[in-house]
Amino acid sequence: MAKTVEDVKIARVIKHSRLKKHFRYNWKSGYGMLIPSFILLILFMYYPAMIAIGFSFTNWDGFNQPQFTGLTNYSALFHDKIFWLSLKNVGIWAVIKVVIELLVPLIVAVVIYHLNSKRMQYIYRVLFVIPVVVPGIVMFMIWSFIYDPNVGVLNALLHAVGMDGFIKNWLGDPKLALYALMFVGFPFVIPFNLLIFFAGLQNISESIYESAKLDGITRIKRFLHIEMPLVMGQVKLILILTVIQLLQNVTLPLVMTNGGPGYSTYVPGLYMYFLAFQNGQFGLGMAVSMIIFVIVLILTWIQMKYINPSTEYEA
Amino acid sequence: MIQHLRKDFWSHCFLVILAFIALYPFIYMIITSFKTNGQFYSHFFGITFPLHFENYRLAWESIGGYIFNSVFVGVVSVLLIICSSALAGYSFARLRFLGKNFLYMSVVALLMIPGLLTLIPLFLLIKGFGLLNSYAGLILAFAAAGQAFTIFVFRQSFASLPEELFEAARIDGCGEMRVFLQIVLPLAKPIVGTMAIWNLLTIWNEYMMPLVLISDSSKFPITVGLIQFKSQFVSQTLYGPMFAGYTIASLPLLLLFIFTMRLFMKGLTSGAVKM
Repeated sequence: MAKTVEDVKIARVIKHSRLKKHFRYNWKSGYGMLIPSFILLILFMYYPAMIAIGFSFTNWDGFNQPQFTGLTNYSALFHDKIFWLSLKNVGIWAVIKVVIELLVPLIVAVVIYHLNSKRMQYIYRVLFVIPVVVPGIVMFMIWSFIYDPNVGVLNALLHAVGMDGFIKNWLGDPKLALYALMFVGFPFVIPFNLLIFFAGLQNISESIYESAKLDGITRIKRFLHIEMPLVMGQVKLILILTVIQLLQNVTLPLVMTNGGPGYSTYVPGLYMYFLAFQNGQFGLGMAVSMIIFVIVLILTWIQMKYINPSTEYEA
Repeated sequence: MIQHLRKDFWSHCFLVILAFIALYPFIYMIITSFKTNGQFYSHFFGITFPLHFENYRLAWESIGGYIFNSVFVGVVSVLLIICSSALAGYSFARLRFLGKNFLYMSVVALLMIPGLLTLIPLFLLIKGFGLLNSYAGLILAFAAAGQAFTIFVFRQSFASLPEELFEAARIDGCGEMRVFLQIVLPLAKPIVGTMAIWNLLTIWNEYMMPLVLISDSSKFPITVGLIQFKSQFVSQTLYGPMFAGYTIASLPLLLLFIFTMRLFMKGLTSGAVKM
């Protein structure tokens, strides 16, 4: 009897080790299956990234042999007023927009989540996701039209309600243009963020809400003390993604104001584009993109380090 | 239902108004796309009759080619992305080999690299390959740019499949390629579909890459083409056809969304949350 038990054990061990062996030694297919992806990544991601780092120390103009110029590009940027202005613009932009783009979708997600009808929850989510299918460029052009000083919707609306005093040349006024650009996409229910927050809320256990209900907690308190802390994991993810995306926002100012009027809507990404593709200063342009990259890295690191997700909850 | 509506009355008010404001620019776009200039100036906000469908014909003549370019480049790039990153995702999720974690982390690190960093060198590189101003150059650039996120999502999804499935197949002596094709892919159809849609969406919306890589206007994708299209109609101040063009540019994705709605929304939330 004892023998058979041992036999079974041995058989199990043999089977297990064979499996393990198989699992461990499939390096051939392991590497093989990575080849197509890595050819693309090495050629068109890693290698260009290396070029960007290396050539940001040269005076390359795209035609002549590049010469190593050390930190000349970086010190030139350090003394460049336009570059500092563009940094300031993107700073204002990022700070205001990050708050709005996190808060508004979160509030909307909470309101939708607490609807009693599951069907209506779904319908609202679909409604808010629809803008995803309209190409960004189309949205920017519609907003250019909304701001148009002569035939635009915004001025027509102000005229219709008798507030003619507020009629402005929104994109043509250097003091207003940056804020007008930031207002594009109002009311800022970013679909991606909304869906992620909603998923986060669905993960919160039902029992928390029930006990909160028994305590007679108000909606605002529930939002601040239950929902906000419990979706911190999602907040962290979206914070990183939003900042990265805001810092490299080029298309919006390029299409709507071309950086103008004057330099009032310059952002670093746009400056980089102009330097490289209009002035042919590829080396200097890459130095700008390196600085953007470093800023992104530092911000990401700070977020990872100091914002701990408190998603672990034990009921 | 009615009871539900009454109970959440203020929530519904809030959401309906917000949704209306969010969608209003697009509603305005569609309304205006059917107007002549006369109707545009006399009834700025309202719907006017008769609807002028010829605006769409006029707009299509100018941007039909761009739409075709976008569809072609988009579909080929997405096929490339899905095939290669599904393989890589499987390898990272299910196989063991030396340096796997290092390689995987080097892929995930790419998620942190801003696309702007590689824009100039990519241009110079593709110029060096003689692929500037060609579909091939654009497709390769897109295919590479989509890899990191897609591999990341596929790995998450493949790793969550139950191990028993694989044990059984391996005991039967199935090769990894066969396991991948016959077990993983059929199970992963929803996430594959989702990632295909996600990548198509990104590529359809991309402006800077084609702006830099393509200079021949007959090869422009829709985003770059629309700028040209706009200046053509703005100079003639033909607002109806201009907005008809914007609407046409949004239609392909809208149709895709309508037909794959549940898959799309489900995948967006399931794939991206767990970082």
